[in-house]
Amino acid sequence: METAGVPSTSVYVRSFDLHPKLMGLSRTVITDHPLGRPLGRPGDGARQRAVVERALSLLSAESQTIVDFGQHY
Amino acid sequence: MLATVDGVDERDKVETISELRNSFSYGSRSNLNFKFVRDLSDNEFGDMVEELFDAVAHGGDAGDISGVADVAFRWQQKAYKNHLGDPNDFRYAYDDVPFTPMVKPLSEARILLLTSSGHFVEGDDPEPFGVKDMSQAEAEARIKESVKEPPTLSRIPIDTPSDQIRVRHGGYPVQAAIADHQVVLPHEHLRAMVADGLIGELVEDAYSFVGAAPQGLMRGKVGEEWAQMARDLHADAALLVPI
Repeated sequence: METAGVPSTSVYVRSFDLHPKLMGLSRTVITDHPLGRPLGRPGDGARQRAVVERALSLLSAESQTIVDFGQHY
Repeated sequence: MLATVDGVDERDKVETISELRNSFSYGSRSNLNFKFVRDLSDNEFGDMVEELFDAVAHGGDAGDISGVADVAFRWQQKAYKNHLGDPNDFRYAYDDVPFTPMVKPLSEARILLLTSSGHFVEGDDPEPFGVKDMSQAEAEARIKESVKEPPTLSRIPIDTPSDQIRVRHGGYPVQAAIADHQVVLPHEHLRAMVADGLIGELVEDAYSFVGAAPQGLMRGKVGEEWAQMARDLHADAALLVPI
């Protein structure tokens, strides 16, 4: 995406938190969620939306940025 | 549940701890929530079981068994790091990676959603290997074939009602995504953010594929085509939700 000139931001679960750094992804939120639930529990719309908002907020970053979402599952 | 093979109950066989661990990863006890135990050592597996037993006992006494999930989650993290091995040997590590700045505020931007979750719209099944209505169980059983096949991108109109969306993926536990697609396909949250004025607009379709696909293709031809697609769709930015 970045090569094509499209800024990107991503959400990774904690189990794969090394991948964004190693792969050089531009913007990443790491969530303390299990595999298969990167945005949160089923039915927890507030958490899911908060993760999406955090990921999109990183689009304003000007260099590689990896942040922890910071809330336990 | 163990299978009966050639009339012999698998439970009659002597099973090593290693065989037990491996059975959860596409084996006789296939369970994608716990396939990670394959990547624990026997001793680590024993420690995990001991901690789970303790968490069940204490949780039962306290009337709150959330600690059981905490134990499983912590060991999941450890196992996947075991699986990664030495980060210095990671095949897909890059030193020189492009970074594209965002040129407009989010409230004016057009956002594309792309996820490797394996979602598709009812009636538009990608039909892997030409199989109609493939079950999740078959997708798991054919995972070794899946990782050799080029990925198929499923188009999901961003206003598709959730009850018309399906998910199937042989690489991760999909039950949470079945219960609530928003755990990985947040199209409704994005729509709400547009309505709230936080996002300018959305690309009319979200896209999903089965991420258990050849990584070389994803880095090369396929990745380049999808990135060009994002440009052609006039996306100002992309939200990526890998599984």
